[in-house]
Amino acid sequence: MRKLLLASAAVTLVCTGTAQAADIVIGHLADLTGATASVSKPFAGGVADALNYINAKGGVKGDKIAFETVDYSYQVPRAMAQYKKWTSESKLAAIQGWGTGDTEALVSSVAKDEIPYFSASYSGHLTDPQGKTSAKAAPYNFFYGPSYTDGCRGLVEWAAADWKKKGGKGQAKFVHMGDNHPYPNAPKDACGAYAKEKGFEILNPIQYSLKPGDFKAQCLSLKESGADYAYLANTSGSTISLLKSCETVGTKAQFMGNIWGMDEAGLKASGEAANGMTWVVAATTWADTTPGMTLVREISKLSDPSGKEERPSHYMRGICSAFYMKEAMDIATTMPGGVTGANIKAAMYKKSNWVPAGLEGVCLPSTWKADDHRGTTQVMVYQAAIKGEDVKMTKVYAAELPRRPEWLGW
Amino acid sequence: MISSSLIPCGQFKTSYAKDTTIFDTPVMRAWAVASVLFLIAAPSFLNNYHLSILIQIGFMGIAALGLNILVGYTGQISLGHAGFFGFGAFASAWLNNSFGVPVVLAMPLAAVMTTVLGLLFGIPAGRLKGLYLAIATFASQFILEDFFARADWFSGGSSGAAAAPVNLFGYELSGDTGFFYVVLFWVVVMFLIGSNLLRTRDGRAFIAVRDHYLSAEVMGINLTKYRILSFGLSSFYAGLGGALYGHYLGFVSAEGFTILMSIEFLGMIIIGGLGSVAGTLMGTTFMVLLPEVMEGGVSIAKSLIGGDVSWLNEGLAYIKQASIGLAIILFLIFEPDGLIHRWRLGRSYWKLYPFSY
Repeated sequence: MRKLLLASAAVTLVCTGTAQAADIVIGHLADLTGATASVSKPFAGGVADALNYINAKGGVKGDKIAFETVDYSYQVPRAMAQYKKWTSESKLAAIQGWGTGDTEALVSSVAKDEIPYFSASYSGHLTDPQGKTSAKAAPYNFFYGPSYTDGCRGLVEWAAADWKKKGGKGQAKFVHMGDNHPYPNAPKDACGAYAKEKGFEILNPIQYSLKPGDFKAQCLSLKESGADYAYLANTSGSTISLLKSCETVGTKAQFMGNIWGMDEAGLKASGEAANGMTWVVAATTWADTTPGMTLVREISKLSDPSGKEERPSHYMRGICSAFYMKEAMDIATTMPGGVTGANIKAAMYKKSNWVPAGLEGVCLPSTWKADDHRGTTQVMVYQAAIKGEDVKMTKVYAAELPRRPEWLGW
Repeated sequence: MISSSLIPCGQFKTSYAKDTTIFDTPVMRAWAVASVLFLIAAPSFLNNYHLSILIQIGFMGIAALGLNILVGYTGQISLGHAGFFGFGAFASAWLNNSFGVPVVLAMPLAAVMTTVLGLLFGIPAGRLKGLYLAIATFASQFILEDFFARADWFSGGSSGAAAAPVNLFGYELSGDTGFFYVVLFWVVVMFLIGSNLLRTRDGRAFIAVRDHYLSAEVMGINLTKYRILSFGLSSFYAGLGGALYGHYLGFVSAEGFTILMSIEFLGMIIIGGLGSVAGTLMGTTFMVLLPEVMEGGVSIAKSLIGGDVSWLNEGLAYIKQASIGLAIILFLIFEPDGLIHRWRLGRSYWKLYPFSY
């Protein structure tokens, strides 16, 4: 019996080692069990479903995309080891990555190995492929959506318009709230500078943990500071706790969340505490009826045949991320050398105001340039209207930010 | 004449020097040398993935050995080891980026800086014991974590610090093969120092403090001095491990050095064997390999069932995480003395084979 088991294990080991020669191999990192699992799961689901859908529809000009979703639990060493494993087993064409930790850690490795890295980390400095303004160039990093900083700038523009509309007198007060952590800190300085430019008075930042907890103390300092607009830079879990605490304390500030700071599930969980909150969205919501949603619903059926599951907008962004990569691969097939990392990178620059075929109205038109990886600088601001069990999200503002050269990588 | 590979039955050591040799028998020494030689040849037949795992075992092992000196030998406790590990990583990058100190020098210098920090944070150990000390070191973990995210001049704050690859005589050791030799060098040096430390007066003082602090004090051992010294030493190891980690990744982010990592270090030495130099390496190997082996198992399970089904992905992810925890619990129940104990049992079994009793 034991021999039989060993033999079968050996056979499977051999079998798994050989992917089909024609396949395009990519890596897919996700956090299904770690600190950011709540938002990574829907995003990774979008990526995986989209890739499976692409394969079912003939792949990239006939070649299938071979991928495996690997859960790295948001631990950088695990992501590093997985990366080495992938690169030593086969030549990777691209990677669909995830968060701040793995993306930052792999910036120089993917540049050296020429593997485009499509991340869900939107830190501003990743948009600087030639290292013009930031300390380190990120030539092979791509992401779909506005950077954290641009997202915050978009909210600042909305806030300025809102202040005017409300007939607010004098200088409105703006405060940054978030953990002292690379991800919430990413847009802090740059966005504060823009808020100042827009005539806001910048208050001292208030710190609240990325881990959900009781934040009444922070809400009291928010109340005392007299802030009019509070930017929440954490992920949805801790933001929900904050909204609840602040509802109890009774603050008057208008809350604005970043792209990972609020979603459909978060609104349901926070209930009326989130009423009126605005946040950044960079794809459609499930309830939207734009033409591209037909394709999205079809893709979603791959993992939810009933079609009943309502996907959060992170899912749509995952789909966009996978489809930009797929179309770049399509272009790369026509280049000498075929679908290689370097060709995919070059292909990413071929189109401008680019929306993947079939996803019109879902993905924002994006343009990547060899010296500027800010795919889109368009920021959609959504506002929540919650009454009891009834949750509504409406688009209230679309900011079209200028591509200022000094903003590149910041 | 009896072959030198066998130990004669009974105690025949006639001097203290013989009693405290690093290796019990010449054969063991030969084995140790042979395995180092084997590792030197390893890059020629291992791929980058295997090398990167060996490198991880290397820098984690150095840091874990530091913790073992503190916990296993001196009987103190630290929940802040990851903080020191991170400090070493940032310090080395900082020395290199801000002052142009060559990386080869910056790494040991960073370790020295970490030592100073460790001596500072070790001061409470002079007064506190047990759980109280654990909480004091817990605080150091949080102080350091916050410092990394705040000190822009030192760590680059939230955007992190770039760490240059090792450059030796104008030759850049950036790939896995090059870096593997750097790590191997330090592993050999640090583990030799670790083994030798315990043959010195100071090493024996550590053990005396652990076994019975009152007796130790009566014998004239300055408790405060040795407790703090132990913190400093363990920080030196942590700092060096961290520096290697930083330069290997090429980038140091404040995100990585959490309390979880500190606990992982504790797990390594408990699984490997408290108070054992070789056990430290075994425990580290176990902890680094376990998730990789599980990942491999999950891949095989997926290919057996076929396809990339999302519920399966998630289900297997949980099974993987749970089995890591389960393996650790089983270890603690069935092998509380650590892997090194199992190793010794196995060795004595084979030494007497087939006449063991």
